[in-house]
Amino acid sequence: MSRRLVIAILVACAVLPIAFQGLGQRQVYWLFVISEFYVFAIVAISLDLLMGRSGQISLGQSGFVALGAYTAAILNQRFNVDLPLGMLAGAATAAVASLILGFPATRLRGHYLGIVTLGFGIAIDQIALKWDALTGGDQGIHLHRPALFGVDAGTPVRMYYVALVALVVAVLLVRGLTQTRIGRSFAAIKDSEVAAAAMGVPVARTKVLAFIVSAFLAGAAGGIYAFLAGFVAPEDFGIESSLLFFAMVVIGGMGSIPGAIGGAVVVDAVKNAAATVSGLSLTLLGGMIVLVVLFFPGGLKGLLRTRRTWREPRPAPKGVVRQDA
Amino acid sequence: MLEARGVTVRFGGLVAVSGLDLDVPDRGIFALVGPNGAGKTTLINALSRVCPVADGTIRLGDVDVLSLPAHAVVSAGIARSFQRAELFPSLTVLENLLVGLHSTMKTGLSGALMTPASRTEEQASRTRAERVLRDLDLWELRNAAPGDMPYGHQKLLDVARALVSEPALLLLDEPFAGLTEAEAPRLLACIRAAGERCAVLMIEHHFELLEGIAQRMTVMDFGQKVSEGTPASMRTDPEVIRCYLGTGRHRTAAGAAC
Amino acid sequence: MMQFLLQIALAGLAQGSLFALTALGLVMIYNASSVVNFAHGAMGMAATYVAYVLIARFEVPFALAFAGALVAAFVLGAVVQAVFLARLRNAPLLSQVVVTLGLFMLLEGLMGIAFGYNPRPMRESIAIAPVILGDLVLRPQDVLQLALLLILGVALAAFFAATKVGLGMRAITENTYAARLMGIPVGRLLAVAWGTGVALSAVAAVLAAPTTSVTPNMMDTIVVYGFVAAIVGGFGSMAGALVGGLILGVVVNLIDAFLAPELAMSIVFGLLLLVLYVRPDGLFGRAQVQKV
Repeated sequence: MSRRLVIAILVACAVLPIAFQGLGQRQVYWLFVISEFYVFAIVAISLDLLMGRSGQISLGQSGFVALGAYTAAILNQRFNVDLPLGMLAGAATAAVASLILGFPATRLRGHYLGIVTLGFGIAIDQIALKWDALTGGDQGIHLHRPALFGVDAGTPVRMYYVALVALVVAVLLVRGLTQTRIGRSFAAIKDSEVAAAAMGVPVARTKVLAFIVSAFLAGAAGGIYAFLAGFVAPEDFGIESSLLFFAMVVIGGMGSIPGAIGGAVVVDAVKNAAATVSGLSLTLLGGMIVLVVLFFPGGLKGLLRTRRTWREPRPAPKGVVRQDA
Repeated sequence: MLEARGVTVRFGGLVAVSGLDLDVPDRGIFALVGPNGAGKTTLINALSRVCPVADGTIRLGDVDVLSLPAHAVVSAGIARSFQRAELFPSLTVLENLLVGLHSTMKTGLSGALMTPASRTEEQASRTRAERVLRDLDLWELRNAAPGDMPYGHQKLLDVARALVSEPALLLLDEPFAGLTEAEAPRLLACIRAAGERCAVLMIEHHFELLEGIAQRMTVMDFGQKVSEGTPASMRTDPEVIRCYLGTGRHRTAAGAAC
Repeated sequence: MMQFLLQIALAGLAQGSLFALTALGLVMIYNASSVVNFAHGAMGMAATYVAYVLIARFEVPFALAFAGALVAAFVLGAVVQAVFLARLRNAPLLSQVVVTLGLFMLLEGLMGIAFGYNPRPMRESIAIAPVILGDLVLRPQDVLQLALLLILGVALAAFFAATKVGLGMRAITENTYAARLMGIPVGRLLAVAWGTGVALSAVAAVLAAPTTSVTPNMMDTIVVYGFVAAIVGGFGSMAGALVGGLILGVVVNLIDAFLAPELAMSIVFGLLLLVLYVRPDGLFGRAQVQKV
């Protein structure tokens, strides 16, 4: 992604609310949809870090999002905790909870991990529903008007910018991570655990670290979501939600931040557009996943690959490559 | 410097290495030879803690190697390459090398924040990696995907990764296998230079190569040490000749299991 | 109290039969192709809709409709394997997992579009009144489930031990490359394995349908328990899957009776983690040596 393109997109996102003013009544709805998309993109990036980068399947990412959202919501409802602190508390809770998956991640074979993460997501969902003294059960929790360091952030436009800034920060953090030692170690354990260990990468600890970082980001996204929606309830975080995030990463192309965001765009768009016909979005997304796996393994990112990509491997320059004896 | 005594490695009922003694001084190039299935790779795996050792001791200086987990081996000074260049296809050539420096770096999650300290360390590491890549004439490919390179280049990269952390003991598993005539001299020069700085233990089939650089050879067959000496003396050793007849220069597809 | 526990045990065994049937199919597919079929439940569900349509629209007698569902399931499994999984034979494991997840979504979505999410009824396989034995209520449907499980279990064991196809499949499991070299028609056998596996899922689904009603997500809970049963049994052991499923059924019913039904799955996963901590390869699994 060239720098110019990125800046252009950022500017476009920044001025979008101004453009939306022309929509009158529908403004609130659209601001919310795009803000929600920014939050989902953060989750997609978090899941891509885990699945695409460190190669660990997670079918329960919504569990981390839920933990973040509920932590923020509960703290806000009872103690009037503000957005920044609520978000961080949510992130921290999710990160700590991810340690439960530490043992399965390091000791169990791949498909077991998939099933266990599935169970994790289901368990969080069920507990949220059952523990109604804490979570309000199926009634959910209503949050107070969000505030940012004393400044009211309760308008759709302000929350829009909060979500946008959060996404930008998340992208910068993950990009920083992948370009440095720890990010490389994630890729290393995915590609060859033996070689990674031979270079000093503590494989088990690194797998857990990947979960912790991924959960932290997803939890932060959940925290922001709680303030954005003003309301959390278990149905927002079920298995369908986990599958949506999974679809985002697969369709976007694994191991790529722009891919994850692109995947989030596609999935969110399909979800919203097909919402009226039950089963349609599942069909479309499922079909897309199958097509991607069979014919476009690189996902969106693979399709749109240009010669000069961010930090992507380039094909070897001609003339240097020789045929083997 | 490296002292292995009575090393025995078993896989179920199969004894891959049996009661092997090995001494490697702290500098120089030493060869490990023998027919396929002799247990050479298994021994390397045992030394690098990739596979469990059933019996025996392995000491590097005063470090008990067998007490180390696999990922602590490189910090203790043992680095290795692999029979089938275990590269990281998701990373560029340069990044592959930087992983080789993982144990020498300290940047943790602060890398995400791009702190000055992490950037300094990153830059220093890149400089180190650049030197190694230039030595092996791979610098132009630094942003390439390893999978796009010919196999010979991949093997070079594999060795480079082991070299870059400046280990005390460098274990090379058939580093020349798959290299073209043009690539071999560069690797040879590289290994020779490495042999002046550290100990190099390499598995190799090509006798002519060994005569040029190896100070000493250890011959293995059926998991045991069969003979030891200088390449010149090995030429006429009847045990060695027996091992080599029938092996020639052909690598078979299957190697030892470990 | 004893009667109560016995009643729970019976219900547990009956429900466990469904988990076991599902798990048997999963393990069969996994053994042959090393793929965990995340679309397993959805495929069984789709076959149940076939039965439903046969009964509701074409007024086919139940037994024939059941058979029709099984045939549909077999075909679906075989086709999925041949069309989708075969292409991914050399792809990384993650890709195969992903494609089955995609198929799961696709199937549920398609059924949702075709039939909507309104529950459709399915009759019990045995339309006889429950039998009262002392204080125990014995539902014929429950007995049928258990009986079918045991019959099929024995049949599968015999199949793998004694028939050419079965032995061929075991060969594929042990060493696909060698099997191919020996002239074993790997592609065909994989298709058969998938077909049979999905047929087992269909049996579970049709048996479950009277209780769950026929909906696109009817098998979601059962298939999750099927996964757990397969893992507990040691993914790879069919006997383990069978026993695991039955044990799981009893455990779930005990949780329902004495703890909280809404937390059943959470508790089960907690227990699963415990079991795996003690025995990472499941109760009956063989430790797999990793080759470097």
